[in-house]
Formats: sequence, structure tokens, C-alpha cells
Amino acid sequence: MTVTEPRPTNDAPRPRFVRADGPDKVTGTGRYTADLTLTGVLAAKFRYADHTHARITRLDVSAARSMPGVLAVLTADDVPDVRYGPFVQDRTLFARDVVRFEGEIVAAVAATTAEIAQRAVDAIVVEYEPLPVVTDLEAALAADSPLVHEGWESYGSADPIVRDRNDASFSSITKGDPDAAMAAADLVVTSRYVADASHAAPIEPRAVLAQWEGDKVTIWTSTQVPYDARAGVCETLELPANRVRIIVPHLGGGFGGKCGFHYEAHVAALARAARRPVRLVFSRREEFLAPDRRREGMVIDITTGLRRDGTIVARTGWIAIDNGAYTADSGFFPQLAAMHVAGPYRIPNVRVEAHLVYTNHQPSGSVRAPTAPQACWALESHTDELARAVGMDPVAIRKLNAVDTGAEGPSGQTYDEIGLQQCIDAATAAAGYGGELPDDEAIGVAIGWWPSFSAPSGAYVRIDGDGSGQIITGAQECGTGAVMTLRQLAADELGMQPEDFQLIYQDTSVAPYDMGATGSQTLFNNGRAVVAAAGQVAEQLKQLAAEQLEASPADIVLADGQAHVAGTPSRSVPITELAGIAAGGELLIGHGSGQPPGAPPLVGSSCVGDVGMAAFIAPQFSCHAVRVKLDRDTGVARVLEVSTAHDSGTILNPVGAHGQVEGGVLMGIGQALTEGTRYDDDGRQRNAAMLEYKLQTCADAPTIRTTFIEIPTPDAGPRGAKGLAEAPNVATAAAISNAIAAIVGRPVRQLPMTAERVWETIADAAEAAAQDGVAS
Amino acid sequence: MLIASTLDDALAAVAAGARPIAGGSDLVVGARHGKAPLPASLVAIDRIAELQTVTETADGGLVLGAGVSHHVIETHPVITGHFSGLADASALVGSPSTRHVGTIGGNVMNGSPAMDTGAPLVVLGATVELRSTTGTRTVSIGDLWTGPGRTAAAPDELCVAVHLPAPPPRSGSAYVRLEYRRAMEIAVVGAAAAVTLDADGDVASISVALSAVAPTILAVSGLTGLAGRSVADVAAAAAEAAAEQARPISDLRASDRYRRHTVGVMARRAVEAAARRAAGETIAVPVNRALGIGAVAATPGAPS
Ligand SMILES: Cc1cc2nc3c(=O)[nH]c(=O)nc-3n(C[C@H](O)[C@H](O)[C@H](O)COP(=O)(O)OP(=O)(O)OC[C@H]3O[C@@H](n4cnc5c(N)ncnc54)[C@H](O)[C@@H]3O)c2cc1C
Repeated sequence: MTVTEPRPTNDAPRPRFVRADGPDKVTGTGRYTADLTLTGVLAAKFRYADHTHARITRLDVSAARSMPGVLAVLTADDVPDVRYGPFVQDRTLFARDVVRFEGEIVAAVAATTAEIAQRAVDAIVVEYEPLPVVTDLEAALAADSPLVHEGWESYGSADPIVRDRNDASFSSITKGDPDAAMAAADLVVTSRYVADASHAAPIEPRAVLAQWEGDKVTIWTSTQVPYDARAGVCETLELPANRVRIIVPHLGGGFGGKCGFHYEAHVAALARAARRPVRLVFSRREEFLAPDRRREGMVIDITTGLRRDGTIVARTGWIAIDNGAYTADSGFFPQLAAMHVAGPYRIPNVRVEAHLVYTNHQPSGSVRAPTAPQACWALESHTDELARAVGMDPVAIRKLNAVDTGAEGPSGQTYDEIGLQQCIDAATAAAGYGGELPDDEAIGVAIGWWPSFSAPSGAYVRIDGDGSGQIITGAQECGTGAVMTLRQLAADELGMQPEDFQLIYQDTSVAPYDMGATGSQTLFNNGRAVVAAAGQVAEQLKQLAAEQLEASPADIVLADGQAHVAGTPSRSVPITELAGIAAGGELLIGHGSGQPPGAPPLVGSSCVGDVGMAAFIAPQFSCHAVRVKLDRDTGVARVLEVSTAHDSGTILNPVGAHGQVEGGVLMGIGQALTEGTRYDDDGRQRNAAMLEYKLQTCADAPTIRTTFIEIPTPDAGPRGAKGLAEAPNVATAAAISNAIAAIVGRPVRQLPMTAERVWETIADAAEAAAQDGVAS
Repeated sequence: MLIASTLDDALAAVAAGARPIAGGSDLVVGARHGKAPLPASLVAIDRIAELQTVTETADGGLVLGAGVSHHVIETHPVITGHFSGLADASALVGSPSTRHVGTIGGNVMNGSPAMDTGAPLVVLGATVELRSTTGTRTVSIGDLWTGPGRTAAAPDELCVAVHLPAPPPRSGSAYVRLEYRRAMEIAVVGAAAAVTLDADGDVASISVALSAVAPTILAVSGLTGLAGRSVADVAAAAAEAAAEQARPISDLRASDRYRRHTVGVMARRAVEAAARRAAGETIAVPVNRALGIGAVAATPGAPS
């Protein structure tokens, strides 16, 4: 579906947009999971592993069980013996025999107060036999490495997943003959980049509250994916879906950190055992250590063969991704990372191989554009190295090689109309690229891409007798405003106002399925469902109006709260009146889902471990141009200005869209410069606190300019929209890297590019320059 | 917890074993992070009016009540004008809310080696007034800290005021710190300088103190011989002395090697900014922001 009506340009005032959940959140009346309570509620606490890799030789909970005020203590023996996991079924609710990372749950306690629960947790006796700790990605892939999972071969896994020992998921993309092309290239450039792990760090640490009524359980939880949470509870506690109800109160952010199934089953099991409601509220420290959701560390090798004129003829890559101790939704990371190391370039000969490596670190999982910021950082820093090697301008080499409408990408996908080249032009123009700058400043440029995720999704729309509407949707709002925008879609379809609709959402027993606030998919898929549902109601209204106005339904137009005959606005009837009539007869109820867009074909490439990520549905493109000022004496880099351009198709909600880009950029600056998890030799996090895990603050925010290249895209979301929420997080760190490298003379090869690492790179560059001086 | 409304009530409470709590931004936050449990007996001193005054003395000195907040310090015209190094430090503390609750007394008595007001107070020659039910004594600021988180004050002594002597004519002070972000930050390293210029614009006297490179705030020694030299010479010599005398540790924030290097850079910049202020130039508080040290704003003439 495409539209031709004019849309506001980026400089035009943004249309007013009032979020339905805005007043609640701004005034503090909104309720989050940790705010909820129930009569008789108990507090839950977990006993975590004392080692990062060890065999449990003794586990004795008797002292904890007999403490006054303790109503339930659970271990692996008290729940069904189920191994679960979306790609590899390698984990259990509670540790069985072996613990594999510091945040692994050995036991859970429910008690009348949090203090008693903590004392009971401390009274649990666990003895261990330490096992060798695996933390180094390359060593873990060696044939003689200790195994993180001795029994890996016995685990079930999804069909396309290719596994071997500590390699939990292997994927490769091959096209053409990269070896021959590399041998024939004029120049070959090889780089290694290493990215540290990082965190989503949502403002709300997670909370779960569970209550049983008979054989049914209601679970209030701070999840981004209520239906996944439900599926996890059903699978691990062996319950049918209709006996588990997941409700998400307001969600205090997620950034992917609250995707996946986490602690809903633990708390439900505690509540069942204690016969009382049970609530779990995480501390900030637990939020850092326990969830299987950190952004994965990566080691990336890239080799590119070029012609002297800068044309890329071949690329090979090798990627190791830190999976951590268990496989969360990371099974698709290798293929996605491989796509990002191949990059949005026209390369005829490609071979990229990617391994998802088990270690004794916290498990990795989808954090906003998983693998992409790190892989883009590596690839785009490498691309500036290519430009230096052939003596070309970094923007020119990108323009020359980047994909465009009708071009073939690295995995053999040919693109319909896309706006990457326009993004490069718009972002660099907005940044004033090429102008004079002080010698401690530079503008770095990077391009990025990201798929849209196609998934089934459902919604109902109804209009009650008084003419007020309800949208009952499976979609989950994690702060992006995507669900809030659904009101606009329904209103447009029905000729009503967004404010005429209430949103009923985040309740699995009320609304049909949706994948959740994940993969930037909410408007893309649920928008389709809401438009379809509203369309059914529109048909009903047109039918009713046709009867009232003695016209054909095909001639009825819904606009401004009225149904009128096309071409004769005066022949009209208010929609509220039609609603009143319907209330006495066939009710106004629409349901929608629609067919999810299918994957585009790939030609000439082959993929091992293919999970469907080599073909990008409705691909999004971006270019970020970042002006950085570097304090050469200390290595402190400051981002002064970020100019972005994004092709995310049609922009449905400009206010929300700009907000997503600005937030993504700020998150990218943090990943680039100050965030990053530090581990000790045993794989324990050393900076699991807000003081030492340095997120960017408002005071750090630079000027951010955004241009949307709006190309209504067929086979995409409503009105030709693509996804948006993750794409702005992809290219910022890479652009910052290129600005720093332009000032220093060489890239910083480790992410985050902390002040100290920049300073060391400056020192290395100075030393190399001095040696060059000696040599010449 | 007792909420004291007069100093006498507070003194009686600490004499009876209560721990004073002013803004609580060290004590409570530390307890939540498991540093040390909250003491069983607490006396809140944040509502005692006499601890919250800023008084100019007849000779141009200043008496800061212990309960004066960082926000008051960073905005008080006398402090930003004549004791600028202290205002530079207070203006960098935490966030606006931290600066509203956090006090100078709490900063000083908490005794963290990374505290921001410590180094400027040392170069400004501050003394601390300690009082108990049995009497009052005055301690030079350098003698107050005996180790990380430890002071020479007895448990029954309250810090009631910080005294600052009148700065000499043609003098200026500044505090700069290395920071990785612009709010909610703790000094990686920091340096304060107080400079007095002679009639030729050369340095008549200089003192430099450092934060976060030793168990307590470190006064740089051996600078007296620099009198009569140019600002540039003195800045370079002070930087070298700072880097040499620093005894930094390696931790999550930085390695010892990096700290030793950057504390020299900070010392040089502090001396240069203090000298410019001594020469009559107005550099807005905090110097970090005005001169783009670890900050966005780039002002022409910023020390490199
Ligand atoms: C988010 C955040 C950011 C921060 N950033 C910085 C920063 O950038 N720079 C910095 O230096 N500090 C920083 N701090 C630490 C803290 O805010 C400051 O040290 C502040 O000045 C402490 O003052 P307070 O009144 O809150 O102290 P409190 O916490 O009330 O007290 C601190 C200690 O001093 C004792 N005490 C307090 N007043 C007296 C008194 N009058 N007599 C005797 N003993 C007393 C208390 O018993 C306690 O031991 C930060 C803290 C937070 C939470």
C-alpha cells in the first residue's frame, strides 16, 4: 500500500502527537509492576551461583525451609525437568548439577518480607567442585577447549542451527569466488576489531508478580514480549496457554533487555508452592548480572580486496560472538552479524563465517539491533582504512560501493527502491562534511542497515454505542510510542480522531498474539493488523451509512467523524449516530491480522546455518555523520554534533520517529565511548552498577539532526513504513570511530573507545611515527 | 533518627553516639550499595539554620557553614568571584539534585580521595572548625584527612564550618578534573591550583593539590622555588611535579599509568586557568565547561 498525499518535510513543524500513556507517565500516576501489590503478597529472592563454572556437589535448603516467615524454597527438584531455549534447548529454570555463569539461579525463596527471604537465601548451603572457566572466544573454539556444556550433543535445537562443542550456532554467507578475487585484487586490507559486551540498562529493573486462582495463574511482569513470557511459563511449568495470563503494566523501558522469557515461571512456581501471591523486584545489580540479555562481545576479522579505483571486489570475514553460558534468542546472531560484516555494499565475492561461542559469561540476547552496532563499527572503521589505503575520500568510497536501487547486495538480494545513497548525501550535507575544522575536530561518517521483521500479529477494533472506540491489541509498548501510534492508524481508517480510541493492550488473555516490543516490528506488523481490523469496522459503518443515506456503500466516505456520500459532504450522518444504531443490532467489531510480508529471494549465494537473516525484508538504511572533538592530551572524545539520515520507508509518526533516532544516537555514543562491561578472569562482571557502567546523560547529548528519506515501500508495514526503533543505534559508534581515527591517524580497535584506549592509540601512533622518522 | 533543629541538639546527639547525616548523598547511597550499613543512630543536621550561612569576614575571608550545599557554592557571587576553584569543584558534583542535597561538610567529612572540593580547599588554605559539647578546635584542611574515608575528627565532633582566608591581591584559583561524562561523574583525577602573580605577570606564589591519585588529597610539594618564573614555566613544572608525586592506583576508572599522565595534564590546566583568573580574566565556573576540558564547549584560548 502506498500513499501519495504530501507528508511534512523534516524541517516542518512536527504535527502534534499526544501519547495515550503520556499523562500517566509524566504525572507519576502510571503504575509499573513493582508498584503493584496483592493481599498477602510474599517477597521472592534468588540464590545465585557462587562460581562461574562449577559442579554442585551439595545443595541443602533445609535450614532455609525451616526459617519462620519462609513459605517456599524451590530448586531444580521442585519444577518439571524441562530444558528450554528458542534456538538451543540448553537451559533449565534452576541449575541442575552444573552452574555456568554468576547469575545462574540455584534456588528461589518466597518469604513474608524481603529481609527474611534474603536471610533464607543466605542459609542455603551449596558446595561446589570448580570447573575450568571459559572466557576467551578464540580459545573456546579450539579443539582442546574445556566445554561449557558437556552434554551439548544431547540438547534439542531448532532445525537450521549448526552446532559443534562450544560453537552454539555457526553461520556463513558465501557468494562468488572470494579467494580468486582476493588474489586478483590490486590491494588487500585486513583488520581486527574487538567489541566488549554492554548492557541495555533500562531505567526500570525488572519485576514479576504472580497469583494463582485455582489452576490458573496471572502474572504481572515487566517484559517486552508477553506472549514469549507466556510460552516460557507454559513450557517450563507444563501448562496449557489458556491457564497462563500475562499482564504488563506500564513498562519502564527495555531496549531489548526485557525481551525473552525470564523469571515469570520462577515466581509462578513460588506462588503455587507458597499458596500466596509472590513478587520479585530486582535490584540494579541483579538487573546487570542475571538476565540472559547483555549485548554480546565480539571479535571481528575483515579482509577486503579492492581495485585501485576503490571498487571492492571481495570480502572475507571471521566473527566470534560471545554467547555466554546459555543460548537465549542469540541463535540468529551469527547470520545477522555476518550480514553486517558483509555490509550494505555491492560485493561480488563474499565469504563471512560467524560463530556463536559458549563462555562462562552472562548469556547474550537481543539488545537494540543485536550484533549490528559492533559489526558496523568494525566494518565501517575498516572501510575508512580502505579509503586511506587507496587514497580516497571516505564518503566517496562509500558512494562508489554502497548498494542502491536495483543493485545486488552481498548475499544476492536485489533491492527495490531504497534510499541509502540519498541518506549518505543528506547526512553529510547536514554535517557540513568537507568544510574546514579545527585540528582537534573531525567528522566521521558511517552507513548502516537493518532488516524489518515480518511476523504474525493481531488486533480487534470495536466501536461502542456512544461512538467511542477501543483498540484491543497484542502489541507491547516499551516506550517507543509504537503502540501509541496505532490510534492514529485506526482513526485515519475510520475518519475519527486518535483521542476517540482507548488502547487495551499488554494482556495475553484479552488480545490476540503479537511478537512483542522486539525487532522494531510493532507498527510494521501490528499496524497491519489494526488497519485490517479498523477496515472491517469501516465496512460495517459504510453499510449502515448507505442504508441511512440511501446510497451505495462503495460511495460512502468516512471523514471528520461523519459518514458522507462521496462528492456530497452535506449528505452525511455522524459516526456516533451509526454506532448507536449498531448497538441495537449487529455490533461494530473488527478483527485483523493480515498476511506478513514474505522474504525476498536470494540469487547466487549459499548460507550455512540459515535462519532467514540473509534476506532483509523491507531493509532500512542509514548514514550518520558525527563531528567529534578530541582532547589529545587525555584521549577524551566529545561528540559535538550528529547528523543522521534514515530510510525507514514512510514515517507514520514524526515525533516518535525523531525521538527514536535521538535515543538511538545517544545509546550509540555510550556504546562508542563510555559503556562496556568489564570482566575479571573468572568471568564475573566488575562494573555491575550505574556508577561504574557509564551511560550517557542528558548533559552529554549533542545536537542531533535527522533527515528521513521517505520512500513508501511495497511489501512492508502500513502505508509503506519499515521498522525504525533499532536502526538508529547501528551506525553512530562507527561514525565516531572514524572521526577519532581521522584525528589520531589510526582507528581505536577496541569498543568502547574509552578515553584511556584512545590515549594509548595516540601514544602508539606517535611511537610509530617516530620509528618511521628513524627508518626514513 | 533525630532531626536536630539547633546545633546544640545536634552536638548532644553526636555526643550520645549518633552519626550526623546532612544531605545523605554519601551516607545513604553508600549504605544502599553495601559500603557500610546505615548506623543505627542518626541525627539529621540539614535543618540547622546556623550551619547554612555563608559569611564574609571583615578582612575578606569567608566562613562557610558545614551545611552549605554545592548549589549555593557554585552560584554564590563571592565564591565564584574570589574562591573560584571551590566553585569549580562544587559545580561538577553529581547532578543538579546531588548539588542541592550534598553539602560541603559532608564532602569534607566523608573524606573520599576522589572528592572534588578537597583539592581547592587545600590550595585556598582552608581550615575546618570542629565542635563538640566540650569545645571547639580548628584544624587545617590538610591535617583533617588521615586516610581514605578517615578524618582526624573524633566521633563526637561535628564539622560546623569551613574557613577560607582572604585571597591575596592578583590571585586566582581553579579546579579541573578528568571526567568521562558531563554529569553523575566521579573524578578520574583532578587538580586545583591557586596562583598569585607579581607585577610583571610572573608567578609570585603557587600551590597545587590533586584528587584521586593518593589515599587522601595530595598537596604537591616543592613548588616554592618556582616563584618569579613565567606562568608557562610554572604550569609545566607543576604538571611534572604532579605526575611524579602522584601515587595512583589502577581500578575500573583508569590505570595508574593513565592517571599519572592525566593528573599532570590537569595540574597544568589548573595552573593556567588560575593564572588567567589572577590576571583579571573572568572564566566562568566550572572551568571544565568554560574551557572544554572533557566537555563540549570549545572556547578560543583553551589550554591544550
Ligand atoms: C549521584 C552522586 C554523584 C556524586 N558526585 C560527586 C562528585 O562529583 N564529586 C564529589 O566530590 N562528590 C560526589 N558525590 C558524593 C556526595 O554527594 C558529596 O560528597 C556530598 O558533598 C556529600 O554531602 P552530604 O551532605 O550528602 O553528606 P552525607 O552523606 O550526609 O554525609 C557524608 C559523611 O559525612 C558525615 N558528615 C556530614 N556532615 C557532617 C558534619 N557537619 N560534621 C561531621 N560529619 C559530617 C556523615 O556522617 C557521613 O559520614 C556524589 C554523590 C552522588 C549520590
